[in-house]
Amino acid sequence: MNADAKPILVIGGGIAGITAAVEAAEVGYRVVLVEKEAYLGGRVMRMYRYFPKMCPPTCGFEINARRIRQNPRIVVHTQSTVEELSGTAGDFKVRIRKRPRYVTGKCSVDDSVLERLTSTRVNDFNQGMDETKALYYPHDMAYPPIHVLDREALSEADEELLKEICPPEALDLEMEEEELKIGVGAVIVATGWQPYDATKLEHLKFGKCPNVLTNVMMERLAARGGPTRGEITRPSDGKSAENVAFVQCAGSRDENHLPYCSAVCCMASMKQARYLREKNENAKATIFYIDIRAVGRLEKFYFDLLEDSNISFVKGKVAEINEHPETRDLILDVEDTLSGEKLNQTFDLVVLATGIVPNSAETKLPIELKYDDYGFIDGTTSIDGVYAAGCATRPCDVSRTTKDSTAAALKAIQCLNRGE
Amino acid sequence: METAGRTSQVEQAAEPKSPQIAPVENGKPVSIEPDLDFIRVLSTQGAASFKECFQCGTCSATCPISPAENPFPRKEMAWASWGMRDRLLRDPDVWLCHHCNDCSTQCPRGARPGDLLALIRREVVVHYAVPHFLARWVNDPRYAPLLLAIPAVLLGLALMLREPLQDALGITGNTGGKIVFSFSSVFPHWLLNSFFGFFGILAFVGAFVGVVRFWRAIMADRPDQTSAPVKGMGASIIAALKKVISHENFTSCTTARARYPAHLGVFFGFLALSLVSIWVITAKFNPLISSDFVYPFSLLSPWKILANLGGFSLLLGSMWMIYDRLEFSDNAGESNYFDWIFIWTLFLVAVTGFATEFMHFLRLEPHRHIAYFIHLVFVFTVLIYLPYSKFAHVIYRTTAMVFAEYTGRNWGVPTPVAPGNGVSGSQRKEEIENGEK
Repeated sequence: MNADAKPILVIGGGIAGITAAVEAAEVGYRVVLVEKEAYLGGRVMRMYRYFPKMCPPTCGFEINARRIRQNPRIVVHTQSTVEELSGTAGDFKVRIRKRPRYVTGKCSVDDSVLERLTSTRVNDFNQGMDETKALYYPHDMAYPPIHVLDREALSEADEELLKEICPPEALDLEMEEEELKIGVGAVIVATGWQPYDATKLEHLKFGKCPNVLTNVMMERLAARGGPTRGEITRPSDGKSAENVAFVQCAGSRDENHLPYCSAVCCMASMKQARYLREKNENAKATIFYIDIRAVGRLEKFYFDLLEDSNISFVKGKVAEINEHPETRDLILDVEDTLSGEKLNQTFDLVVLATGIVPNSAETKLPIELKYDDYGFIDGTTSIDGVYAAGCATRPCDVSRTTKDSTAAALKAIQCLNRGE
Repeated sequence: METAGRTSQVEQAAEPKSPQIAPVENGKPVSIEPDLDFIRVLSTQGAASFKECFQCGTCSATCPISPAENPFPRKEMAWASWGMRDRLLRDPDVWLCHHCNDCSTQCPRGARPGDLLALIRREVVVHYAVPHFLARWVNDPRYAPLLLAIPAVLLGLALMLREPLQDALGITGNTGGKIVFSFSSVFPHWLLNSFFGFFGILAFVGAFVGVVRFWRAIMADRPDQTSAPVKGMGASIIAALKKVISHENFTSCTTARARYPAHLGVFFGFLALSLVSIWVITAKFNPLISSDFVYPFSLLSPWKILANLGGFSLLLGSMWMIYDRLEFSDNAGESNYFDWIFIWTLFLVAVTGFATEFMHFLRLEPHRHIAYFIHLVFVFTVLIYLPYSKFAHVIYRTTAMVFAEYTGRNWGVPTPVAPGNGVSGSQRKEEIENGEK
C-alpha cells in the first residue's frame, strides 16, 4: 500500500458515492466526498421502500452514516461542487466551491425557533410537494445532522428574529462561500441521476392535471416524512387514492424522449403497487406496460403480484391522459394489445413511471470527459485515473450501483498504487 | 411469460393444437407464409422503419378515427412485419386511415405506422387493378414518358383525323348555338366529347372491376360480419358519402392539420370542375339547357364562376399539398412516386387550365390551342389512369367506409369503462357479459 498516496475524490454523495467512499476508506485510503445538496443520501434517501425486500432505505443509510462518521479518513463536503479538475492519474488538482450553510452545528437549533419563522421555501426533498421554513432540517435521517438556512428565502423580519432568539453560536449569518484547493490521486464520478422531466410528455398532462404524479413523487407521498405523512391521497382533493394507474415507459424507450430503457421503472411501479395494496386493502392498481422488465430473481416479485386480484396488468402503452373536469379523475387512452381493444378507463390517481436521466446530461464535469449520446459516462472513463459508478454510467438499481461503486473504489486504489 | 395468470384465456387459446408454431385465429392456429418480397418492397419504398415496431399500441390508442374493437394500425404493423400480404390486401381498415400521422409522430420507435398504411393502400390499388400491367406502369417512373405520350399521341391523331372523320360521319363543324370565339375550330366538341367519353367509360369500367374485386375479397374474408349487417346497403352508402363530403375524418387530425384544408380544396375544386364539364358535355342532350346556350360562357355566367372557383380551389389545394409534403415531411408523411405523380398531375391540370383560359381571353393565337392541347393531355392522364393511380383512393376508401358502415364497425371513442374498475378491458367485458355490475 502506497503510504504517501493522495486522497480519492468522490463526486456525489448518493448511494454510489457513499459506497465508494467507505469501501476505499475502510481499507486505509483517504477520501474527499463532495455533495452538492446539504445532506448525503441523494435520490435513494427519498425512497419510501426498496424492491424487492420492501425495506426502507433508512436502515441501510444508518449503517453507512455510521461508517462515515467513525472513519477519520473520510472528509465530507456538503453544499459543494467541483469547479475545476485538472492533472493526470495520481496527481489531480481540484478546486471545490463550498456554499455557506449559515448554521454552525456547534449547538442545536430548537424546533420552537422554526415555528416562529414565517418565510418558507419549496421542499425539494419532497419533490416540491410541500414547503419548509427558510431555516430547516433537511429530513429525519439528515447527515450531517445539522439544520440549513436558505438565505434567499429568508425574509428580513425573520433574519432579525433569528438574531434575537437563536443562540449566537448556532448561526453565523456572516458565513461566506469557501473555496478549497486540494490534490487528489484518483477521482470517482458518482453524479447520479434525475427523473425525466414529465412535463415534456405532453399527452400525459403532468403539471396540468394535479392527480397525475411521477413515480418519485409517489415515493414521497407514501413516506412518513412526506407531504401527507404517508397517506396516499389525491393532490386535488386529499381523498384516499383507491384506484391507481401506473403508466410504464413514461418517456423511456421512446425515440421522442429517452430512447433507452430506464431499467428500474417496472420494478419501481410494481413495488409501488404492492405498498399501495399494503397500505389500503381496498385499493386497486393497474399497470400499463409494453413489456414487464423484471430480470433474474426479480421475476418472482412480478409473479407474486400476479396473484393479487386487485392488481391488473394491461399490455399497452398509454397514449393520452385526460381529466374529468369536475371529478378530476383521469381517463386513460390505451390499446390492450392482448385483447385488441381500445380502453378508456378512469382512475383516481395516475403515477407516471418516468425514467432515469444522468445528471451528467446537463451538468458536465469541469474536465474533458467522454459522454455517450444520452450523457452517461463509461465506468472506466476516457481519462486515466477517473472512474464512474452508478446511474452516472447507466440506469441501474441500488444493488447494482453498490457493486459498481466497489469496483470503482478498487480501480481508484489500483491507480494510487501504480509503480509500487 | 408476461401473460401468465392475467390473461390465461388468451394463453389457452394460443396453445397450438398441432406442433406447428403459429398465431391463432378464431381459436384455430393458422400458419403464416411470410411474403418476404412484400416486406422488402415495404421497407424499401416508403416505410423504411416499420420493422422497428414493438407493438406497444400507442398508434391505435392515439388514432382519433380508429374503432374501439380491433383498432388499427397496430395489428397492421404486426401483419406487415410477418409478411402477411394477403391479409393486408383484404383489410378494409387500411382505407379507414386518412394518413393524419398522429400515430407516426407519437410512435416511440419511429416506425411510422401512418406511412406504412399509405404504402399498403398503394399495394391494394396495384393488386386489384385490371389490366394489371397498367397499374405497374403508372407506379413506375420509367414509364412516365410513355404514359404521357399515350394521351398526347391519341389526342393528336384524333385531331389530325378530325376532317376525314367529320366527313365520314357527316358531322358539321358547327355544333350549334351562338359561338363567339372558341376552341371548336381546332378541337370540335363532338370529337372531344366522344374521345373523352369513350376513354372515360374505359376508366370507369377499370375502376369498377377493381373495386368489385376488392369488395368481394373483404366480404369473403368476414362472413361473420357480413352475414348480419347493421344497416342496409343504401343507408351505408349514404352514411359513407356524408363522411366523405363533410371531411369529418380529416378534422380530428392534430399532426397533419394542413391536410384537411388542402384536401378540401382539391376535393371540392375537382368536384366543381367535373360538374361543369359534365354540364357542358351533356349540353346537347340536357333538357335543362335552353336552346340559346352560349358557349364559351361569359365570365359572369354562374357556370363560368363555378368553374373558375373550382379551378382556384384545385390550384391552391394542390399547391398546399405539395408545399406541405416538401416542407413538413415528418408530419405529412413519407411521399413516394405514387403520391407525387398524382398531386403534380392535379396541379398541372389546374395550371394548364388557367393558362388556356388566360390565353384565350387575350386571344393569343395559336398559343391558346397549344395550351389547351397540353391541358387536355393532363386531364386525360388524370381521367384514364384513375383506377391505377392514387386517384383510385376515391373509390377504394369510399368502398371501405361503406363496408365499415354496413358491418357496424364501431367508430371513434371506445365505450368508457366505469370508474373504480382496475381491470383490463377484456376482463371487464367478460364481467359485463356475465351480468356482473
